[in-house]
Amino acid sequence: MSSVPQKELVTGVERYPLDAEVPNVVEKLFSLRNQCTECNVCEVACSLVHSPDGTVNPQYARLKINHAPAKPSKVSPGGLGFVADICHHCGNPPPCAEVCPTEAFYYDPKTKAAVIEQDNCIQCMECVPGCPFDTVFVAPSGELLKCDLCGGDPVCVKACAARPEMLNEGKQYVRLPVLFYAEQADFNKEHKQVPEMGDEVGMMQAMLEAGKISSPA
Amino acid sequence: MESRLLRVDLTTGKMRSEVIPHSVFERWIGGSGINNWIMWEHFLTHDINCDPRGPDNIFVFGVGPLAGTGAGSGIKGRITFKSPCYNMFGDSAGGGKFPYMLRFTAFEYIAITGKSPKPVYLHICNDEVSLVDASHLWGRDTLETHTMLREELGTYPSHAHTLSISQAGENQVGIASVVSDALRIHARCGGGAVMGSKNLKAIAVQGNGGLKIQMPEEMLAWSDDFRQKIDENEAVYGFKRRGTLGAVEMYQHIGSHFWRNNQGNMFRGGEITSDNWVKKYHKYSEVCSSDCFIACDAKYKIDGTESEASKKYIGETFRRPEYLTTGSAAGALDVRDWSEVAHWGKITNDYGIDNQDLSCAISFLMELKQRDLISDRDVAELFDREQSLRWGNMDDIEFCVESIVFQKNLFGKIFGDGPYLGAIKYSELKGQNFMKYATYGKGGASFTEEMRPFPTWMNNMAVASRGADHLKGIGLIEKFQRKDLSKIYFDGRTEAADLSVPTLKGASTALIENQVALLNSYGVCLFHWMLDPAGYTPQDYYGKAYAAATGIDRTPDELMLDGARICNLEKAFNSRIGMRREHDTVCERWMWEPTDEGMYPGSVAAEMFNPVLDEYYEWRGWDKDSGLQTRKSLEDVGLEDVADVLENEGSLA
Amino acid sequence: MITVHANFHSHFKELASTGEASFQIENPTVEALAQCICDTYGPKMEAMLIDPDTRELNERGTMFVDARGMRVSMSDALNDGDTITFLVGIAGG
Repeated sequence: MSSVPQKELVTGVERYPLDAEVPNVVEKLFSLRNQCTECNVCEVACSLVHSPDGTVNPQYARLKINHAPAKPSKVSPGGLGFVADICHHCGNPPPCAEVCPTEAFYYDPKTKAAVIEQDNCIQCMECVPGCPFDTVFVAPSGELLKCDLCGGDPVCVKACAARPEMLNEGKQYVRLPVLFYAEQADFNKEHKQVPEMGDEVGMMQAMLEAGKISSPA
Repeated sequence: MESRLLRVDLTTGKMRSEVIPHSVFERWIGGSGINNWIMWEHFLTHDINCDPRGPDNIFVFGVGPLAGTGAGSGIKGRITFKSPCYNMFGDSAGGGKFPYMLRFTAFEYIAITGKSPKPVYLHICNDEVSLVDASHLWGRDTLETHTMLREELGTYPSHAHTLSISQAGENQVGIASVVSDALRIHARCGGGAVMGSKNLKAIAVQGNGGLKIQMPEEMLAWSDDFRQKIDENEAVYGFKRRGTLGAVEMYQHIGSHFWRNNQGNMFRGGEITSDNWVKKYHKYSEVCSSDCFIACDAKYKIDGTESEASKKYIGETFRRPEYLTTGSAAGALDVRDWSEVAHWGKITNDYGIDNQDLSCAISFLMELKQRDLISDRDVAELFDREQSLRWGNMDDIEFCVESIVFQKNLFGKIFGDGPYLGAIKYSELKGQNFMKYATYGKGGASFTEEMRPFPTWMNNMAVASRGADHLKGIGLIEKFQRKDLSKIYFDGRTEAADLSVPTLKGASTALIENQVALLNSYGVCLFHWMLDPAGYTPQDYYGKAYAAATGIDRTPDELMLDGARICNLEKAFNSRIGMRREHDTVCERWMWEPTDEGMYPGSVAAEMFNPVLDEYYEWRGWDKDSGLQTRKSLEDVGLEDVADVLENEGSLA
Repeated sequence: MITVHANFHSHFKELASTGEASFQIENPTVEALAQCICDTYGPKMEAMLIDPDTRELNERGTMFVDARGMRVSMSDALNDGDTITFLVGIAGG
């Protein structure tokens, strides 16, 4: 497989237990509300790379397309449209891991992301409500699913049909990547600095032009 | 690989799950190939000359083997049946999420026969299948049906995706379509009437099963490469923004629109001749088929500020019109306002009816009125009320649509089977020959683009297995004058890309028909074929994805033969119901009336029609006089059994 | 030195921010015109116009025609005052 499966990702001497002092995840995944086309490509790709036997099943994806986000935005005042719900990779230790009774979480040495060790997980599902953003998912088998950043090369970003590579040079499009992998972008701060960029898209555009976010593609 | 077929007999309510043998995949690839084979086998034990609206007809849904595999291109599902409006082979493809979701259930193919005693819908939930009473859905349009089904079925094990018909299908209108998720339409050939005749209102699927990829590493590597190829090309990004609306300006420039029932080939009216539409209206979210890397679709919402006419449609939201929606409204019917064009797309979708057939039928009548060949009294007789039938009059057009959908009046009854049969019936009724003004090929309604300057397209219109059709052998080598492709396909010769000679035009049709049959059996969207460099040799490129997904490794040559086999089966189906060379023809307007504007004035089909058709039969190895297949041509593609059937019935040359 | 006119449609128009432009070129060939257009409008135009593998005109989803509606290719000669139209080559839908 081109991306490393989760289990190999977290094995070896370097894996950190949850109580270790580990810096926060630096590069995160972001998704733009209402720019998503609901193409499901991210779900398909995610489930395929994480599957031990090469099975596609969106229900096993570690991110989910939210089919009817109710929150209105300036792009879509009606609140319709789609968005991919992905783990926000909160500061370490993250709330989902803190509520875990069996210490099934630990940190991936490369990305610093908190990852679930399925062998230690008793599927008590405490982490599901523990996540403030509802991005720990339950597979049909009961397995708990959380984004592991694919070891630093997230397949969902590469697969996104609104992929960002079209933006390497361009500043003239209003359309922006839906999914991207970048250093922590402080939306609120940026928003205040560039008041005329009132909406999410305009803000993203401004940040992109300022070189504050980039595309790995 | 294990693939399952669900057989449903609506008369008895019995259902059976069958494993499709590996050998069938080796012979028919998947998607349209397998659909065709299921239908062919069905009509070996049932009368092929049956009434398409009767219980003996079969309705097959199939999904290509690349759907949902991460290949990013195999997004199409396909319905196959005997067409009620053209009374020959009928099929129609559609994207969206229904085919994708079907792959996460236990089934990939559905074959429906018989007739239910009362309205039902078929519910597939993983491996559980049931026929559910649909009386509460009957009489509703596709949007209402979809919305109600989604609510009713909930979100476990997944959201429901649906395939449904509207009142048009219920009334068994010949040109009624099947609509997927109220967004994407399997338009051609009247699948909606077949579902309606079976009292089958909808099919709903929900699934959370897994889809096994035989060679996952190869598939991931393939899709990485595929994405890279797509992304290198800026034109793909243009396509993502505009979809096929990009063709509006191109066709305006070269003169390839279908204006006022093809009396001209340029749009009139300023705004409509450009694709600036995108900037003005596209302010809403985008939508996409599942597992597609291109994502060309978008949604519009009208807020009433766009134009005077848009005030009628404030708040309306739907998919951005594609070229053929535009071509049928702004072209065939001469509607000059974008919001009206968009609205036309919306109503034809919600009513689940083919806007190509519909616009050709309405514009046929408008032309008769324009030429004073029919009087106001004749119009009132057709519609039971006064109608101006002025070009571009949206109120008239909407009433025409409703007349057909609800079978309100004589117009609805006469033109329910599209322009060709409609024109014949109306000529008979009036005792006058109006066929000169009908636009069709092989009995199928024209699709709304200018065809006369393009001999391959014209040939394609005449020979396509489902009648006047651009999707069975799309003639891009010629329309886009692709000398490079002509060289690849024909040993360095460039004539296939030269509009002025008949040479290699029939050959192009045959060759591209094979390729397209192959793509259709993979379920690959034809826009991938147009935009990926590798798409023009799909046997090389997609063959690898097919092998990764299914574990069936075929050489490019074998795959091309597979494509030819699929085309030959469709042809054999039509031969069995009595279609011969004389059916492979196009309407008088295209044949004899020259174009008079655009870049290629003075073009008529008649100039090159017969030499091209001869060459097509030659390349196929079929008999030129009768148009029938020879035993050798069938044996060459491994269809001895089909040759036997044809021979028994006297349909073999 | 000759002057050649270019008409841009659809996505070309968006990339060039104009529907038409004139170019003065040394070599009277389509190749020189293409180069000139790429230089003027930047890498996105180049990605649209040139096939990175073959360095020929990009054939995927595009169409370039002369005033008679004939497709042009890199090696074709141009005359003073010629007009080349840049179109998006997509059909159907």
